[in-house]
Amino acid sequence: MTTSVVRPASGRLRVSAPAFGIVLLLLVAGGVRMARLGGEFVTAYPRATLTSVLLFALLAVPFWLVVAELDFLEREPVRLRVIAFAWGGLVATSVSIRGGAALENIVAKLGSPHLAADWGAAIAGPTVEEIAKILGVVAIVLMARSQINSVLDGVVYGAMVGLGFQIAENIVFAVGAVALAGQGDQIQPVITTFLLRGFLSGVWSHTLFGALAGAGIGYLVVRRDLPRALWSILSAWAAHVLWNSPLLTDGPGNGVLALLAVILLKGLPPLLLVLWLVRRLHDRESDYYASRLATLRDPTLITEGELHALRSGSRRASARRLAPGPARSAVRRLQRAQARLGVELSRASAAGVEHWSSVIRRERVVLARLGHPEAIAGPVSWRHTASTVLTTVVAIAVLWVALSALGGA
Amino acid sequence: MARITRRELTNLAGALGIAATLGGLAFGLPALDRSLPAQRAVSPAEPYQVGAGVSVVPPAGATIDVTGTRPGDTDGTALFRLGPVSYAIAVRPFRGDLDAAAMRLRERITNTSGYQVTGTQLTVSTAGGLAGVQGGYTAPGRGGRYAVFVGDGLTIEVTISGNDLDLGRSLPQIEASVRTLRHHREGR
Repeated sequence: MTTSVVRPASGRLRVSAPAFGIVLLLLVAGGVRMARLGGEFVTAYPRATLTSVLLFALLAVPFWLVVAELDFLEREPVRLRVIAFAWGGLVATSVSIRGGAALENIVAKLGSPHLAADWGAAIAGPTVEEIAKILGVVAIVLMARSQINSVLDGVVYGAMVGLGFQIAENIVFAVGAVALAGQGDQIQPVITTFLLRGFLSGVWSHTLFGALAGAGIGYLVVRRDLPRALWSILSAWAAHVLWNSPLLTDGPGNGVLALLAVILLKGLPPLLLVLWLVRRLHDRESDYYASRLATLRDPTLITEGELHALRSGSRRASARRLAPGPARSAVRRLQRAQARLGVELSRASAAGVEHWSSVIRRERVVLARLGHPEAIAGPVSWRHTASTVLTTVVAIAVLWVALSALGGA
Repeated sequence: MARITRRELTNLAGALGIAATLGGLAFGLPALDRSLPAQRAVSPAEPYQVGAGVSVVPPAGATIDVTGTRPGDTDGTALFRLGPVSYAIAVRPFRGDLDAAAMRLRERITNTSGYQVTGTQLTVSTAGGLAGVQGGYTAPGRGGRYAVFVGDGLTIEVTISGNDLDLGRSLPQIEASVRTLRHHREGR
């Protein structure tokens, strides 16, 4: 454990005025451009547009929650997370629509229409989109440098930019599918796009690429580790190239099963890479804050078992599951307060330590009253694992049936 | 008056660098795209592969616009230019019948602001045995023709547009080209 893993920041969000002003202007410009596009969509296909906005906005919720859980120990300010999301949805998207089409044309002109048809999306998409997205994380660094105090923070902001981009792009694609279908203001193409791009492709899409690229900025800013920074950013680009490339599309044949096979073959390697990276970064960050909490040696604030649970997202969730119904929210509040206490200890903020210690003691009283005095994780439950696997299999089967019925393959 | 610190200047330069890079992507790349020629010569003597096994013999004197041309195994587009007249062919997988395909194309044409379908549809066939329908449309200062064919799980959509004078001159050659549309089943 070294202090270079995490660089404690001051508690207050201080925004740098010059960068904030320019970022705000860029957000307004992107917003105007996307609003114009949205206006055209609503005029031509009001029902389909509203349906796609609603569906993809709902899809953003679980993604947002997962990223928030990653960020459990040292929360990034909501304002910055919203700016990152808006950058992805407004600035990066509007720039990429113009730039991506132009670069694909350039590929066709300097190469050939065949090259552009086969590889245009794989060359132009990742090149323009990854640059436009990563600039969002750089903008956050310029605006609030002190908030990027671990590589994981870069992952969180990168994922937020990617999520904003993914949602806006999916809405554009969904309404594009309605226009291409040429059957008026129908919602069937929206549903098909939602199932294909939202569910099947959503897990290994821009949120994933953004998280990888954001880790690169984190390595650069927090650790000044250029090789790892370049490796992360190039991995994001390469994962995006692989995803958009025509590789493997001829292999498994037609049909939904073949589509699933291709999606898994292309999407799983980058997903596993990001999961491994995030796990490693999360563990390092939680080890750092746990080591600060361990110095307290005060079981009224945190016990050995709670410290063990706090270090991992799955154990935190297990501790909440283990608590009887009414105690679950108290366990969550306790865990949040303990995490905040760890952050305040790292900042050596006496007032912060005092405040969060009193919050923890208050929650401890509530838990004792509910007959669950300690928020420890339960043993690994095979029932829970089996239920997760079964739910995933059922979800894939439902998607398969839905796509077959809609002719999405 | 407050002095601007070196730190603020660096911060401003960084933010302006971001804006400049975005400007390069949003305006620089399209400018570079426009500066490069898009049209290539095509031979009117041999069939041009549009995509998904569909070919067409281009009209004499036509060029291919590579920005609107994307040949593929399961779909494809080709955009020819005959002077100021554009002649586009799009091939896509399709599960409906000819009426549905024609309705879909007309819907897309009339969804463009100011575009109206005119006259009645006529049947049309190609030397390669494809059966379809054709019609016309107008837009402010422009006119156009469309044709649509369905077969073997594909729809082939043809749109021709230009001002009335140029269109009148080029239409016979383009209609002759449309009649050379052919689907090679083994090509898919």
